[in-house]
Amino acid sequence: MSVLEQNFPVVQKKLSVDLKGNKTDIIICSYDDHFLVIATQIGTMGTILHARKDADISVHPTFSVSVIFGKRDEPMLVACARQLIEHISSGTSQPLVLSLGLKDHSAETLKGIVSAVTENRLW
Amino acid sequence: MAGEVSALSQLVDSVESMKVDEKSKQQNAAAAADDASDNSSVQITCFSDIVNDVTLHFQIIRLRNQIYAWIGCDSAKLGRVYAAATTRPHNTVSVTSIIGGVSDNTGSGIARRIVLKTGLNVILACNIPKDSLMLEANAEKKLVEKLIDLGYTRPKAS
Repeated sequence: MSVLEQNFPVVQKKLSVDLKGNKTDIIICSYDDHFLVIATQIGTMGTILHARKDADISVHPTFSVSVIFGKRDEPMLVACARQLIEHISSGTSQPLVLSLGLKDHSAETLKGIVSAVTENRLW
Repeated sequence: MAGEVSALSQLVDSVESMKVDEKSKQQNAAAAADDASDNSSVQITCFSDIVNDVTLHFQIIRLRNQIYAWIGCDSAKLGRVYAAATTRPHNTVSVTSIIGGVSDNTGSGIARRIVLKTGLNVILACNIPKDSLMLEANAEKKLVEKLIDLGYTRPKAS
């Protein structure tokens, strides 16, 4: 077996931001058919959401966002995924897997995550 | 004689001060290690291997209390995603499919056995095609070896 170290096919970025006093680690990965964004303050992936742009050809795009693992009663998490998929879909139609392991679910924290991810976009 | 005594006392002083410096060095090293582990609480390890003309890509993201791992087989598609962890009672291992459904559960066995062997809380993404048992076994072996090598495994409770 030979080991290939260069040219790993997944592009990824890792950064750390402070949101309302909580250190937040953000990892963004670009696969062939998905984007993966992990934002964690608690050391685990937390709640995992899936977001995609619907395939309709119409003037106004529609999106499907759902929680696939974890908290299903936090609308702010769904709103965060919705914002991010709208940003992503301006460039590409790949779906997003978003994982949010957060200590607080305030609008300020989630806006901070959206802006940190869009500033470090891989799309 | 007086000169010798003062030289000796100087020597003793310097030896004692050396010991103190060593202690503070150790304390500094420990503090630096703590800082390093705080600052880099997320560690990403990526590597690839060729097995029987198939390229396997491995991506391991270590969070403080969980591991995310991706296994790519000749492509960089995300594949099916599973979550596995020890659950109550008796720390039995439970697995669930998050993305991809259970019709092809190539990754679920890998996820389950990773938790069994390493005691970690795991999210595994895997695009190995089904009915490739040798490939699956090789990939699992490589991944578990790497997790042990990186020191991520938890000691087993007796």
